[in-house]
Amino acid sequence: MIKALLVVFLSAASAFAQQIGNPTMQQGVIPPRGTFAIRNARIVTVSGADIENGTIVIRDGKIEAVGANVTVPAGAQTIDGTGLSVYPGMIDAGTNMGLVEVPQGANGTVDTSEVGDLNPNAKAIIAVNPHSAHIAVTRVEGITNTLTAPTGGLISGQASLINLIGTAPKEMAVVPQAALVINYPRIGGGGGGFGGFQQPANLSETLTANERQLEQIRKMLRDAEAYGRAQDAYAKDRSVPRPDRNVVLEPLVPYVRGEQPVIFRADREAEIRGAVRFAEEMKLKPIILGGNDAWKVASLLREKNVPVILTGIFSLPSREDDAYDVLYEQAAKLQQAGVRYCISTGDAGAEVRNLAQYAGMAAAFGLSKADAVKAVTLYPAQILNVADRLGSIEVGKMANLVVTDGDLLEIRTSIKYLLIDGRPVVLTSRHTELNDAFKNRK
Amino acid sequence: MPKVRSRLIVGLLALTLAPFIPNSNTNAQRSAIDTYAITNARIVTVSGPVIERGTVVIRNGLIAAAGANVNAPPDARVIDGNGLTVYPGLIDAYTDLALPEASPAPSPGGGGGFFAAPPPRPVGGPNSTQPVGLQPEVMVEDVIRPGGNEIESARNIGITTALTSPRTGIWMGQSALINLSGDTPQAMIVRSPVAMHVGFTPLRGTYPGSLMGVFATLRQMMLDAQRYRDSMQIYERNPRGIRRPDTDRSLAALVPVIEGRMPVVMLVNSEREITRALDLASEFKLRLIVAGGRESDRVAERLAKQNVPVLLSLNLPRRTTAALPEADPEPLRVLRERVEAQQTAGKLAKAGVRFAFQSGSLTDMSELMVNARRVIENGLPAADAVRAFTIWPAQILGVESQLGSIEAGKIANLTVTRGDLFDRNSRVAHVFIDGRPVDLRPAAGGPSRSSLSGTWIVNVNLGQGDKAITLNLQQEGDRLAGAISGPLGAGEISNASVAGGGEVRFTVVFNVEGQTKEASFAGRLANNEIRGSVTIVGAAPGTFTATRSGQPN
Amino acid sequence: MKRLIARSLLLSMFGMLPVSPARAQRQTSPETLIRNATVLTVTRGTLENTDVLLRNGKIAGVGKNLNASANARIIDGTGKFVMPGIIDCHSHSMLDTINEGTLAVTSMVRTEDVMNPTDVDLYRELAGGVTTLNLLHGSANPIGGLNTVVKIKYGRPASEFLFPGAMPGIKFALGENVKQSSRPNQPGVQRRYPNTRMGVEEVIRDAFTRARDYKRTWDEYRAAAGKNKDLMPPKRDLQLEPLVEILEGKRYVHAHCYIASEILMLINLADEFGFKIKTFQHALEGYKVAKEIAAHGAGASIFADSWGYKIEAYDAIPYNAAIMTRAGVVVSMNSDSDERARRLNIEAAKAMHWGGLTEEQALKLVTLNPAIQLGIQERVGSIEVGKDADIAIWNGHPFSVYSRVDTTFIDGVVYFDRQQDLARRPELAKERAALEQAEPNKPPAQGQSPQRPGRRRPSHEDGIEEEMPR
Repeated sequence: MIKALLVVFLSAASAFAQQIGNPTMQQGVIPPRGTFAIRNARIVTVSGADIENGTIVIRDGKIEAVGANVTVPAGAQTIDGTGLSVYPGMIDAGTNMGLVEVPQGANGTVDTSEVGDLNPNAKAIIAVNPHSAHIAVTRVEGITNTLTAPTGGLISGQASLINLIGTAPKEMAVVPQAALVINYPRIGGGGGGFGGFQQPANLSETLTANERQLEQIRKMLRDAEAYGRAQDAYAKDRSVPRPDRNVVLEPLVPYVRGEQPVIFRADREAEIRGAVRFAEEMKLKPIILGGNDAWKVASLLREKNVPVILTGIFSLPSREDDAYDVLYEQAAKLQQAGVRYCISTGDAGAEVRNLAQYAGMAAAFGLSKADAVKAVTLYPAQILNVADRLGSIEVGKMANLVVTDGDLLEIRTSIKYLLIDGRPVVLTSRHTELNDAFKNRK
Repeated sequence: MPKVRSRLIVGLLALTLAPFIPNSNTNAQRSAIDTYAITNARIVTVSGPVIERGTVVIRNGLIAAAGANVNAPPDARVIDGNGLTVYPGLIDAYTDLALPEASPAPSPGGGGGFFAAPPPRPVGGPNSTQPVGLQPEVMVEDVIRPGGNEIESARNIGITTALTSPRTGIWMGQSALINLSGDTPQAMIVRSPVAMHVGFTPLRGTYPGSLMGVFATLRQMMLDAQRYRDSMQIYERNPRGIRRPDTDRSLAALVPVIEGRMPVVMLVNSEREITRALDLASEFKLRLIVAGGRESDRVAERLAKQNVPVLLSLNLPRRTTAALPEADPEPLRVLRERVEAQQTAGKLAKAGVRFAFQSGSLTDMSELMVNARRVIENGLPAADAVRAFTIWPAQILGVESQLGSIEAGKIANLTVTRGDLFDRNSRVAHVFIDGRPVDLRPAAGGPSRSSLSGTWIVNVNLGQGDKAITLNLQQEGDRLAGAISGPLGAGEISNASVAGGGEVRFTVVFNVEGQTKEASFAGRLANNEIRGSVTIVGAAPGTFTATRSGQPN
Repeated sequence: MKRLIARSLLLSMFGMLPVSPARAQRQTSPETLIRNATVLTVTRGTLENTDVLLRNGKIAGVGKNLNASANARIIDGTGKFVMPGIIDCHSHSMLDTINEGTLAVTSMVRTEDVMNPTDVDLYRELAGGVTTLNLLHGSANPIGGLNTVVKIKYGRPASEFLFPGAMPGIKFALGENVKQSSRPNQPGVQRRYPNTRMGVEEVIRDAFTRARDYKRTWDEYRAAAGKNKDLMPPKRDLQLEPLVEILEGKRYVHAHCYIASEILMLINLADEFGFKIKTFQHALEGYKVAKEIAAHGAGASIFADSWGYKIEAYDAIPYNAAIMTRAGVVVSMNSDSDERARRLNIEAAKAMHWGGLTEEQALKLVTLNPAIQLGIQERVGSIEVGKDADIAIWNGHPFSVYSRVDTTFIDGVVYFDRQQDLARRPELAKERAALEQAEPNKPPAQGQSPQRPGRRRPSHEDGIEEEMPR
């Protein structure tokens, strides 16, 4: 069904189209930007009211015009949006997309977690694999962007915000170093006995061990602060003794100066409180990733203006006595409490394509449908400080757009067209290819 | 009845019965020191109404007489029972008293754990076809040892008799009922075997390694025992022409069990565990006794109908953890369990289920009476509580003609208290076992020093997952000795010490990846677990948790 | 103090279980009439503005303007959707243990022996509209243990869960889990056989060869025993008896498998020994050999769209259900996860999104098809008069992400109701407050440190992670 529309869509480059229909071919060729117009569609701008029958003009990767009465430039490739809806591309702010291909049994494809506890200089964008099968599999479901974060240790590294399009990491990166990622020392058990530290069995020992770990982080952040000052001092005044460069501390400088956000993975109430307290102490700009207990500390989060990337909508409530819908309801509770949040799958890669269902479930349990859409578009963009470029359909923003035949969050909806960075994306993937290969086997 | 005539009758009776009264020693001497009389005491006979003021006469290890109108014989040593109450000696219906630590299960094939190729069944007991843990032929009477701190602690609170059973394995072995005094095992044993004991902890590193496997193994072995008995019968009837079946002590030991002649005690506490035990007993027509029985009230109707008694643990669950703000709240299920466990005995009594009390491996025996009080406060009539310590266990364990009440002719096991047995302020004044008084040590001041003796399963975590090793400890006062075995090697412990408050330390030499390393353990005993840290020279430090082997959880 | 205990006793009796039916007596099913709902019958299409009558545990009526007795409970179904209770064909809920992993053939072990009816995840599954589970042994062994089919009668004793008349079944497993391929070698320790897919086949072949001989031995004995009473019967072997049942067509085989080659291997092996595989579980490459699966007559019970977590799952595609359905295979969607089991309605809908199955075909994936696969289709799997009253009322179409379950019935008795659940929450809070004051629940002056909160059971893969060696 999608193949037939390819030709219409890329009339100016039909030979081109046949080539990059094949997912393997897509890995080597990035579709070019151009001038497009989506006409007569219902436009869900997210930032404002829906436009029931409108047109969007895209040029050179950006949204040039949006409205009910928009002139279509000459030579634009047009998409007939009659009966269709246009949404901003979805953003999943809590993934390892591109860092791992097969987590179990193919360690060579796993690049999520570096050895050692303190790796601020591990940059996700370096290891993101633009040819990962997960990328096409994910974007054909309407997710255009992910925040890809490293894992492991105490300071895992730096996460990247990427477009799910591109033949090289540079082409994919929207914000190459978007956030520092810290695993706030956990209270809950599990997570295997890897890494240098043992797993104490009881809570008091855990709390003590956690304090020690926090101290390690603290020390490194203070060192980075001192390092930054020393480098600045030298830059201003060459008579000061030249400080050696330090690849580990250098990347930390913008974070310890509060210029860039620091993501803290934390789920339990005590962990979240601890992370907020720590961030305040060290003057960081915190974001909570995980946040299963965030609704319990909503007033604190609101007071300190700490946003939450919720990854546990589809987790089982961890305590026996938890209400059955306590995690389904998290988003609605945070919305009511005035806490900034967004919804994420929290998945390494393979399940990111189901982001819409997470938002849908939140809407089944108290969140309005409109807020559910925001939770996977504008809210993550705002939390990641890219709301000037992503997250809604407004003039000047990057043309990351999804055209559907219905409600974006419903599973029975089909995606008809996809644009990322104003480039038309062919809606094929490893999965559609395998489907084509075997569906008619007799 | 006029006094003269009654005395005559008593004397005649004594003459006629004399040859039939068993003597406790082969010399058949009757010396003055064998005869006691407790006078002017309140006597709770259990078999009849309470005698507010009476005399109990002990002679030759037996109760010679008990009543309001009984006089102390002239040769008796008299104990003034004013203000004292005499009860039948209390019976603890499930313990591991008088048993040495079991020898550690040899680890199969080089400590392979889950990865070992199906190992040849490691041979445990002499000539057994089954691995250790599946040897029903094991009998505790072979290994009973008299004396020891645990027996003293039990006696100090008035326990004169205990059912003692192995605690490890699946077919754990055959228990014995012992009196808690005597210089030799033979002098202690009242009855052996009493029952076959079954636990549901899977074996480590070999089949059955899961609870499902435990049930399958129990079934298969009982089927094999049936066949064994049948084939042996056919062979013995006429061996000619038939190939001789292999003898098998393990299967032979199960024959009385599957024929219902020997009861089976199963260690089960939750409703579903008890239900599974009842189902298994129905399937194989076993004479089941439930031990533990914390949720037995929920299955009371079926227990009564299937005539299954309960050895109810008085190791009542209570909260042992401090309140930490970072901790999750405890589950409602646990909170309810703790409250409801106190009510189980009362409910069993109402439902007509027979039951007896057991200490359930309490480390601090003084808790036993405290918990008995709780159970009375929560619905068990006090008189039933007395019965649950005396005549009911005697009936359940098949010794009601010898123990459990104060009647002439029964064994002279008596617990004499100042104050009512369950009263908070009462204390045990005298304990008689086999007609002789025992020395009651004064209660240790300060924190109770729970014994560390026994077999422990130690989970050691060195950062690469847990390893389980077996630790056998013997504690004598402050001295600690023992040995370790398992995937990290075997050896004696050294530099071992125990301090008040349960601090335990020792070192042992391990074999880690071909190198010998010394490891120092330091931990704390609380609530029957030792937790602490282990430091290995030259390697990363780790932690450990030790639980008693065979512990129901 | 005593009053406190008595009060807490009272509260505890009241709030003891999330469902109010009294424990002691047998459950009686009240008559219930659901009026004016959209009824997804599965077998007779979607009926608008239709009533459903439940009586004596059965579906007593489906139609317009039905009558009910005076004491029937009336539920206004306007705007609601009624669907058969979802059947999860691959579950490890309510099992105290999942794998007996010490031997490669463990057909003597039974999941029925280790059922835990108090598992709270059962309640959460009821809240997702699930009424029946196929409790399977894990995937540690080529031949695993016996299954149990249950109705989720949360709050009742385990014996009442057993699904009457369900065909007995057994779990087989092929592939990476059985080979323990993701576990490192331990120095000096031999790996358990089998370590390759070649060995997996050999284990199963050997087991059935022995089972065949065992059957012959017993057949010969029975023939001879009539004449000779003194004849000693052969030894009974609980491991081989279920395999004999398979050979005699009396026990269903549910085989965990992933890749095409092992699916074909098992089909060939089964054909050779003359038995049928009832379902291939997971069968993520089933779409590659759909015609062979259909020809053999096996069904497939799969994930909607999980893929890529292991090498053998790398070629998994979400079009699997559609391709196999069109090839004539009876396909069901399963969860293999307490978490996913709550959302099987959406998992089924995914087959419309990927592969274009019709709504009715997709509905069957979690209702009639798993019922067929478990041999219970006479009783459940669709809304028809005479079938068990195992249904759920949804506040929207079950295939919409915005829908949730209002009420779940099993045998006509309510086992989940959202309104009741909400109403009970303040009561449970009160009960907790009272219980925390009870003496045994007070923290001691000098207490141990509490345990670290544990990790949840892994969300899928047959609980393999939790069975790590001790």
